[in-house]
Parts: sequence; C-alpha cells; structure tokens
Amino acid sequence: MPEINDAQQSRRNFLKMLAGTGGAAAVLPVVDAFAADPEAVLAKLVQQTTASDNIDFSELDVLERMRFELLRALQKTPAERRWVMVIDLRKCVGCHSCTVACIAENKLPPGVVYRPVIEEEIGEYPNVARRFVPRPCMQCDNPPCVPVCPVDATYTNEEGIVEMNYERCIGCRYCLTACPYSARTSDFGYTYTQGNANGDGFILGSDIAENYERAANFEYGKQYPRDEGRNSPIGNARKCHFCQHRFLNGQLPACVTTCIGRATLFGDANDPDSLVASLIASPNVMRLREELGTEPRVYYLV
Amino acid sequence: MTEQNITNNDAPSNDQTEVTQQSSVSRRTFLKASAAGGTAAFLGSMAVFSQLQTAQAQASEGELLYPLLDPINQIYSVCLQCNTGCGIKVKLLDGVAVKIDGNPYSPMTMYPHVTYETPVKEMGTVEGAVCPKGQSGLQSVYDPYRLVSVVKRKPGTSRGGGEWETISFEQAIEEIVEGGDLFGEGNVPGLRESYALTDPKVAKDMAAAVKAIQSEKDQDAKRTLIAEFQTTFADYLDTLIDPEHPDLGPKNNQVVFSWGRLKAGRSEFYRRWIGQGFGSVNAHGHTTVCQGSLYFTGMGMSHQLVDGKWSGGSKAYWQADLGNAEFAIIVGSSIFEGGYGPPLRTPSLTENTVENGMRFVVVDPRFSKTAAKAWKWIPAVPGSEGALAMGLIRWVIDNERYDARYLSATNKAAAAEIGEPTWTEAAWLVKINEDGTPGKFLRASEIGLREKEERPLSTDDTKTYEFDYFVALVNGEPVAVDPNTDVPEDAIFGDLLIDGEVEGIRVKSGLQIIADSSRERALEEWAAICDVNINDLVSIAREFTSHGKRAVADIHRGVSQHTNGFYNVFAWYTLNALIGNFDWAGGLVWASTFGTTSGYASVSDADKKQAPFGTTIIRSEAYENNSLFLRDGYPARRNWYPLATDIYQEIAPSIGDAYPYPVKALFLYMGSPVYSLPAGHTNIDILRDPQKLPLFIASDAVIGETTMYADYIFPDTMYLERWEFHGSHPNVPFRIQPLRNPAIDPLVPDVTVYGQPMPLSLEAMLLGLAERLELPGFGENGFGEGLPFKHQDDLYIRMAANLAIDREPVPDADEEEMRIFVESRRHLRSSVFDVERWQAIAGELWPKVVYVLNRGGRFQNFSGGYRETSRGKQLGNRFGKLVNIYQEKTYDARNAMTGERLKGYAYYTPAATGLLGEKLDELDAQEGFDLRLITYREIAQTKSRTASNYWLLGVLPENFVLMNVADATARGLIEGDMVRIISPTNPAGEWDLGNGNKVPMVGKVKAVQGIRPGVIAVSLGFGHWAYGSTPVTINGVTVPADERRGRGLHINAALRTDPHTPNTTLVDPVGGSAVFYDTLVRVEKV
Repeated sequence: MPEINDAQQSRRNFLKMLAGTGGAAAVLPVVDAFAADPEAVLAKLVQQTTASDNIDFSELDVLERMRFELLRALQKTPAERRWVMVIDLRKCVGCHSCTVACIAENKLPPGVVYRPVIEEEIGEYPNVARRFVPRPCMQCDNPPCVPVCPVDATYTNEEGIVEMNYERCIGCRYCLTACPYSARTSDFGYTYTQGNANGDGFILGSDIAENYERAANFEYGKQYPRDEGRNSPIGNARKCHFCQHRFLNGQLPACVTTCIGRATLFGDANDPDSLVASLIASPNVMRLREELGTEPRVYYLV
Repeated sequence: MTEQNITNNDAPSNDQTEVTQQSSVSRRTFLKASAAGGTAAFLGSMAVFSQLQTAQAQASEGELLYPLLDPINQIYSVCLQCNTGCGIKVKLLDGVAVKIDGNPYSPMTMYPHVTYETPVKEMGTVEGAVCPKGQSGLQSVYDPYRLVSVVKRKPGTSRGGGEWETISFEQAIEEIVEGGDLFGEGNVPGLRESYALTDPKVAKDMAAAVKAIQSEKDQDAKRTLIAEFQTTFADYLDTLIDPEHPDLGPKNNQVVFSWGRLKAGRSEFYRRWIGQGFGSVNAHGHTTVCQGSLYFTGMGMSHQLVDGKWSGGSKAYWQADLGNAEFAIIVGSSIFEGGYGPPLRTPSLTENTVENGMRFVVVDPRFSKTAAKAWKWIPAVPGSEGALAMGLIRWVIDNERYDARYLSATNKAAAAEIGEPTWTEAAWLVKINEDGTPGKFLRASEIGLREKEERPLSTDDTKTYEFDYFVALVNGEPVAVDPNTDVPEDAIFGDLLIDGEVEGIRVKSGLQIIADSSRERALEEWAAICDVNINDLVSIAREFTSHGKRAVADIHRGVSQHTNGFYNVFAWYTLNALIGNFDWAGGLVWASTFGTTSGYASVSDADKKQAPFGTTIIRSEAYENNSLFLRDGYPARRNWYPLATDIYQEIAPSIGDAYPYPVKALFLYMGSPVYSLPAGHTNIDILRDPQKLPLFIASDAVIGETTMYADYIFPDTMYLERWEFHGSHPNVPFRIQPLRNPAIDPLVPDVTVYGQPMPLSLEAMLLGLAERLELPGFGENGFGEGLPFKHQDDLYIRMAANLAIDREPVPDADEEEMRIFVESRRHLRSSVFDVERWQAIAGELWPKVVYVLNRGGRFQNFSGGYRETSRGKQLGNRFGKLVNIYQEKTYDARNAMTGERLKGYAYYTPAATGLLGEKLDELDAQEGFDLRLITYREIAQTKSRTASNYWLLGVLPENFVLMNVADATARGLIEGDMVRIISPTNPAGEWDLGNGNKVPMVGKVKAVQGIRPGVIAVSLGFGHWAYGSTPVTINGVTVPADERRGRGLHINAALRTDPHTPNTTLVDPVGGSAVFYDTLVRVEKV
C-alpha cells in the first residue's frame, strides 16, 4: 500500500503545483521532446513554470531544481540569459566522475580532457587537508583564446559559450597557449582502444571494441563520428562548451548530472530566483585568476 | 542544419555545404529543438529563420539532433562496475552503448529519487549521478580482450602456461562431463564420475542418519551410529567420499562451485545446478574477502528466538542513514571512494554537512577523501578499532549517557510502548560461570519463577516445543520475560545494571556485562591502544550522545578485516545500541528488497529438491559435531566456522590440503581469488596442480589472474548483456530491487542447448552441462510438469514477474510504455529478446513485467523510506526486532583450535593474532618488520576487474606505495623512488606465478602527510599480470598485451599467512574475515 499512496500523493502534489498552490513533486514536468506539436509543448511548459513558483525545492534533488530552472531559462531569448557554472568545493569529493562523464559524452580521445579535477594536499600530519578543484573552461566573457585565433575558429556565441568551429580550425594551437586556465587540448585522432589486439575469432578485438569510441558525439548540435579519416574534430583544438548540445535540449551538462557530491551547479545567473544566482552572491564565492580580467563564468564556493 | 546555426548569430555564417553535410535532421526534430531553445529566439532573426527552412527542406524523417535523449534510445538497467548496483540508463546509438548515466528512478543516483510512477516517456532528459567507474562501464563491455570462444588449456602445457586452444562449446561440455585423457597427462575424472548419489530417497535417508550422527554429543555413541550407518547403507557406501566419515557426504560433494560476484537470478541458476541438480553442498561465495565479519556479526545480532531456539539471523548488517544524521562516526570506511556506495551516500553527506551543519568523524589511518571533509580525522592504530569502541562505550556508560529507556525495554511489547522499533537484552539476566565469565541467559524455570510452557511450533502447529521464559529484574524483583510478546500488559522494563545473585545463581544483566567489558581498561588505556588523544575520544563520545537518535557509527572493512573483526564489529554495533538508533532516521538502516523467487512462479522448487548433505570443504559447522573431531581432536588441522559461511580464503587451500576431503572439480564464476584474496598467491600452487585439483573450470569474460590457471574457460556475457536482480545494501532506507537486463546485443556468439540458441554465457554453460548430465530441475519439466527450464528466460522472466507483483503489484505498462519498451530493444537478437517468448512466460503479468523493465527494477518512493512517529522520524522499512547485544548462540560455539567457548558480548582482543594465539606483531617486529601495510580502494578501480577501463586509467594510471613523508625521509626515500615490499611470509617480495614467471612487488613511493606514520597503504586494482596485461597464445596466435593494464603494483601477496595454516591468509576465526590490515612489512629501495 505505501507505494500506491506515494503515487497518489505525488499526483496530487503535481496537480497542486499546476494550480499554483505550491507543494512538492518528485519529478518535474519536462519538455516532451517527441510530441507531435512542439508549440503546444512549449505552451505547456510556460504554463507549468509560471505556475510553480512555490515548489518546495528542499524536497527535490538539486539536479531536478536546476533542470527546472534550465527549462525556465530556455523560454527566454539567448540575450536575456547568462549561463554560469558554480562549483562548490566544499562538496567536491574528488571522484573524477565529471572528468570521465565528459570524456564519454563528448567522445574525447586520449590527451583531450575538458574537465580535469586537480588534487592537492595541504598541511602537515596530523593537520592535513586535501583539496579537489574541477577545472572546466571558464567561458570567459573576455576570453584570451579568441583574439589569437588566426582563422576566427573560436568565438563567443550567442549563448555566451566560447565555441569552436571545427571546420575552420587549422590546429595551430595558439589558443592552447593563450588560455590562462589550460582549458584547451588538441585532438590527435587517437582512440583509447587503439593498438589493442585484433579479434581472430577468440577474443573480441579492438576492431569491434572501438565502436563506442568511433560513434558520433553531438557537440554544438552536430554529429562528429570519429571514423577512419581525419575529419573534424580530429586535428582541432577542443574545449568544454558547458554541453551546449544538452542544455539547449533541456538537459543539464554531463558534469553536472553525474556529480555525486552535487558540487557542480549550472543555470541562468540572470534569473534572480535560480540556484546559481543565489550562490554567486555568497560571501564565500571566488573565481580563478580574477586579476587577469578574463571575467570567468565559472564560480567557486570555498 | 545545426544548433550552431540557430544559436550563433554573431559568428561567421555557416555555408550551405555544412547544412548539406548535416542533412539528417527531421522537421519534427528541428521543431523540437526550437521548442527547447525558445521560439522567440528564432523569430528574432530572419537569417536563422531562412536557414531553418532550408534544413526542413533537406531533412529526412526519423533522426534527432541529439538522439540520446529519446526514450527509445535508452534502456534502464543496473551497474556492475562494483557491487553497489546503482541504477543506470544506457544510451544507445545504432545498438551501440555510447553513454551511461544514472537511472533517476533508483535511489542510488538521485537524492531524493524520481517517483516510480513517472511515465518513461517523460524521463528522456532526466538522469542521475554515477561514479567514474559507472561512467566507464562501456570499457568493461567493449573490452578487446573479452573471450568470445570457449578455450581449453593446450594439452601438453601446464596450467598457467598461457597456451590455449579454442574448442567448441559442445566438445567442452562433453570433455568436462565424461573426462578422459584430456591434457595428455593421464585420465581426468569427469563430472559424471562424481555424480554418484542420484537416488533422492537414499540421499534423504542418508542425510537424516548423518544428522543423527552429528547431533550425538557422546563420542562412543557417535561411533556406534557411524557403524550403524555403514550397515544400513551398505549397498551405497561407494557413493560416499569416505564411509568411515559418512558425515562428509556423497562423492557429489567433490564438485565445488565457487564465485566472486554472484547476484540473484544467476544465483538461483548456479545454486540450483550444484545443489538440487548435482547434489553437492559445496556452493561457496566470496563474502569473507569483502567484509565477512560484518555479515556474520550482523547475523549473530539478528538471530531471533524462534520456537525456543536462536535462529533465522540474516547474513546482513547495518549502515547509517547519513542524510538524516546530525553526527556520524565513520570507521574504516571511505564512503566517497567505496563502501556501498559513493553515488548514493555522497550527496546525502555533502548536502547534510554543507547545508545543515552535520558533523562527522573519520577513523582511518589514511587521510581518505572522506576524511578530507570530516570534522575530525582520527588516524587510529590499524586493528585498534575495537578498543576505540570499547573506550567510547566506557565513557557513555560511566557518564550515563546511554538511552536508559530504550535499553530497559526487554521485549517487543515494551519497545512498542515507548515507540521503539527494536529492543535488546540489556536488562536480561545472564548466568555467570564459576570463573566469572558470562554464560547462558537465566531461564525463569531455573529459579521457580515461571514454569516452561508448551507452545505450538511456528512451522507446524500440530507439534509443540517447550518455551522457557527469560528473566529480568524490575525494581530488584525477578520477572519472567517473553521477548516476542506484543501483549501490552506483558511489556517489561528491566533494571539495567545488575551484578548479583538470584535464588543462589550468580547473574549479571546484559548491560552490566558490556560495562564490565568496557571497564577492563581505563579510558586512558583505551586511548593509548588506539593512539588517540583522549580529549578527542571524549569529545566524540559526548557528541555521539548529544543528538538523540540522530547520531550513528558507520563501519566497514577497516573494522571487520582483522583477526579480531567479529568483536570489533560487535563493539561498534553495541555502541550504537547504547543510544538505540536502530530503525531511526539518522540512525542505522537494515536493507529491504522486493522479492523475486515466488508469487507468480516459485523458482526455488523446494518440494522436489534432492537435499544435498554433508560437510562443506570450508567447514561452516561446529567441529565438535563432526566425526573428524573423533579422529583429530584439538587443534583442528584447519579452522572450522560454526558462525560463518562463504569463506573464500578456505576454498583453494582446503582443496590443497584435501581437508576435510579431496576435490575432483572446481568451478569458478566471476571471481579471482588469486588476485583478490590476501596472500592469494598461496592459491597458485594448488590451482596449478592437477594432482590436487584434477579439473578446474572457469566462467570469465577475460583471462584473469586466477582463470589463467583453469583447464577450460567459458566466455561470459557482461553486465550490459545479461540479467540479474541486484538487491540492496544496508544504507538504503528504501525497499528496492534493481533489475539488470540486456541493454546491448551480447558480443559473444550463440550456442545451442536444449535445442535453443542462446548467448555463450554462464547460463549456457550450466544448461549445457545439465542437459548432458540430465540433471533434475532442468530441461522440459525443470520447473514442474509443463514448465520448462531450457533457456535463461524461463528463469528470469518468471523472477521478473514475481518481482512485479511482490507486495503491491506495479501498474500495467500502457500502450506508450509498451511501444518504448519494444523499440528501445530493437537491436537485441531473438536468442536474447523475443517479445512473444517473454510474453508467453509472463502470461497475464506481461504488462507489469514491462513496467518494471522500463524502470530498471522496482524502487519504493522516497516518502516510503521514512515515517513520522510521535517520537520523531523513523525509517519506513524496519528491522523491527530484538538486537542481540548478548549472544547466547555465539557463547555456545567453540574455537576449533582450543575448544574454548566464544564470548557472547563485545570485548577487545588484539589484532594480528594467529589461529593458535600467536602475537604476530611482536614476532615480526623482532625480525625487523617495521611498517604496517594496509590496502584501500581508490574510487577509480574495483579490485580485480576494471583494469580494462582506459578512461579510469587516464584519471589514475597507476597506484603507489603511500607513505608518510617522515617514514620516507627516515628511510632515505623520496617521492618517485621504487621500493619492494618484503613481508614475513613473502621474503622475496614477489608473486610466484609458477612456470618460472615472477612478478616483483615493487611500486613507486608517494610521500604524503595524510597517512599515519608507521603505516603504508597501497590501493587495490592495479599491478595486473593477466587480464590483457601479458601476452597469451591461442591456437598458436599470440595475443599481444596492453601494458597500460598492468601498471602499478598489487601487494596482496605480502599479506601475512597464518603459522598454523601457512597456505592461507590470516583469518578472523569467528567471523571468517580474510585479513587485510594486520601485516607488518618493510620496504627496500630498488
């Protein structure tokens, strides 16, 4: 019986939420990405988000709150929103799940990492501390990597994301040097499985095993399979883009959803009711290398 | 047309060639993207709008800009990169798994998790968190080194020689069953030879006669019974291993099934084969290498008085509800790195500490990532965990900071009266022996307080047993106690601290016994044993008793994997009992699962079972009851374990010693004892030797550190290709049952068994052997008349149907869910997935089975995990029973070396003690061994089977010899130096693999501040010498190695063996734990 009661309760809460009377729901409405009539979906979304100001976010995983706020932000024009990432170092446990999730999501080859987590030890026994600092691209408002590109292959796009145009990139790596955060790496076209044994009928072999690495990624909303040739992004500079292909589809960046400490937070800083807007006003907020004037969009809580 | 075109007005415009390249975008998709992106944004730019039209014109139907968020490209299943079993969402592209994320229906990956009834079609963009191993699971599955054919040791070569031949599935089955000269070394007995006792009637009669022999305490009478047995079963003595010792059982027992990671579903399969199928008692798991003494102390604490006997305890234990605790002591566990498991436990702790100010302490000689977030790090001496607990207990009792009301409740009715879900024996009276040691509980009949009562048996109410009441004092007067009564008038609250006499019998109360045990040493002495600042000890004790029920001690392997593991664990749970936090929010949780074995169709088939009987090779029984005790007396040749099962470290060494009897064939499934066990190298010589072990058969995905010694290896399906019911863990307050089910088409070929194609897998191996041996319980009527068991679906679909209707049935899948279910599995071949076949087995429950599969199992909703009571928030799923803080059953058991009775209460006994009581630290220190070696786990590896995960190796390519800077400096070592680990029982500091191959235990020094001086730590999971890290030869073709898979070092071979059983690691003789943390070593620079 408890399960059924829970379900009934949840439905009631959901209806209450739609009616604008507040209450908690364990799952938020999502964009039905596959509905026949997207216009109607959008209308429904607008209605729901307008009606849900009183949601008790304390009863939801923070991932659900952020997804909800993401959908709200997507109703605005790009110019009206400001994507930021907040990394709460008090909650980062150094698990590196974000690093690996990003590699998997974007099909990053050996040597390319968008989001390393830097570990260090401080102090002397027994008064010791360990610090874990994830370091994505800062999506600077004043990005030093952009002006050095000789072919305009990198630029701040309408969403405020410092984007790569792989088709234009000539792989000169000026931008790698220019970035004060070392947020860019080069794609030399390797695969992780490369050089392993072939099958011969008794083991699987790298030719089959490699399929998951060769499959397309979806960066910038395009498909980039890593096929046998040297097509983009092989040979290009690569960098974090806050998983733009995900967030424009109503899904949080991969490093955010897989953060087991819920230390990585994402959203629209222009939305005064958003989680990230409240956090970047905290007294314990900081950004990396403020003195450079790069105006990073990644904030750290310490 | 792309997202870039939509969103990037300012960038250099993209030309038409790009749009053409990217032509496979449907109108539907594009509109979807525009919906998500915000219509206003498009309409604001005519340039974009025109591009949009172009894209629509060129789009072809059916593909998406980001197809991974389409529910028909997602399958919900369960991770198996470690044993936590987090729910996962497998994202597919053209049948290839390309990304794994958390299943948000599962409480493992979201906190709180998504309501179970949420339609699957709304879940496309919702995903939870998994750890880096979970993210990397693709690389375990798409591992180039996976076997795809059965292989056989090349005849004429020795085991472990690395030379193999492929062999057809059918030929392998035939050779294993029929035996013969299989390797050019003479005759090998096949399974058929051991399949000796096949008459269920005779087996049943023999089993009863053996039970009588074992129950007979009188030695002469026992001999007489044995002689009678030999007469009664004269015609069948050739079916026995040894007619002089009929209690060892039939020859069938000489076939042994062992496993590393066996989960429900496959467990039913495997156990059915070896037990009721083949008739062997030898089915043994790996429990003791993980946290045996946690499980078996938990079993001791969870036994209940059933029909007058202590029984029914679960092989299980408690962990903390950290999300609701205000204070926690985390001992010997790093929950951010391991310990069941980071994705579930981490957010509850990080949120609770940062947002609510919750505080926790970490007791660990290593400054773990968990310790890095703690209020206090207590780097206590390894092995002293029990002493720390006893010190805390002493302070709590001396200062009367325990929950007296809780502890005074002697029975269920009393607990109910005060709103407590559990109760204890704190106020029960225990008789004190002449030597002052506590003995059995006082019974009411012994002091003429209340006569015994005839009560009906719970199993058969036509029969009765004699119930004898227990006794507590109430205001000094003896009162009879029935622990299980729920009659409110019979609620009894007893006096707590009693040391005196009742009717001339010396007695103490349960709490008094614990108090006395804690007062064996002064507080300062306890602190000194642990090398913990006494102010820290006191402040922890004070904090622990300052939060009502919302304080908790959470323990794991660092407590249990010592020679004193059982009593360490007992001490920490006793500390928890002093505040009575069992079943309270913020206290201790007991796992709850949805059932899978009955309801729709029973898969245990108990009625027809040919009950196997006899002594197991690992001896989970009382030595004194066995006929071998008549022969050998004390000390036993090897230890016996009346309180523990699944003693992994006993399997191979017992085979090596042919004790209690020789073994003819060993099966190993998904395990690697050589790699995983402490001193696992001692297994090698035994497994290599056909004289000691005539036949060694393995089921494994990759040729590993142990299966490299097998005669035959059957490839297995990996976790994204198969079924399992993963169960829960003791920190999950919700009732769950995650269901692993095929997400990708298996990468192994099909074979034919019972006339049906099926993937080459564990299941195919078992069915193939069953078919050839014509084992009962398999085949046409395997599950009863007209109910076949000829394919894995016959078992797993029935279990899924059982799951779907356990307790409250799930809803039916509607048409939309059915569509998503079928479409998302469009890439699976018919031997794996066939809607008609599955539906036929599930019958009318089919829509419910689909509902469960669509969600990757069953998960109770978040609100069900808790309940508000008049006394505060409690857990929704309760243990709800007596918690044994005094254990009569443990007192009844004896040490097989000395014959001494075990203690039934928490006490401190030093670690690093040999079976015969040797103080090994003192001996080894004299020999110049000066560093305590401990192991730990980084989150980026899982012991023996994630070396193939290149993404993880990217994060952490190798492990280190972690050492305090002071220790390094004192030895002239600096970071990066290479050192060899030398131990008392491995003076060469190497793995001797046989065949002239040796692997040095040499690793790189990492000098840090974050480890207790005098302790070095090496993480597990590295230093492989098989699993693709060394070349092998198959059919004369060399399979080259990948050196990345072999980096770092593996130090289990340095871990100490026991002087009495030198082919075996140190053990906890009571709880069975294999011991990881009690070895002194020294390091030598190389």
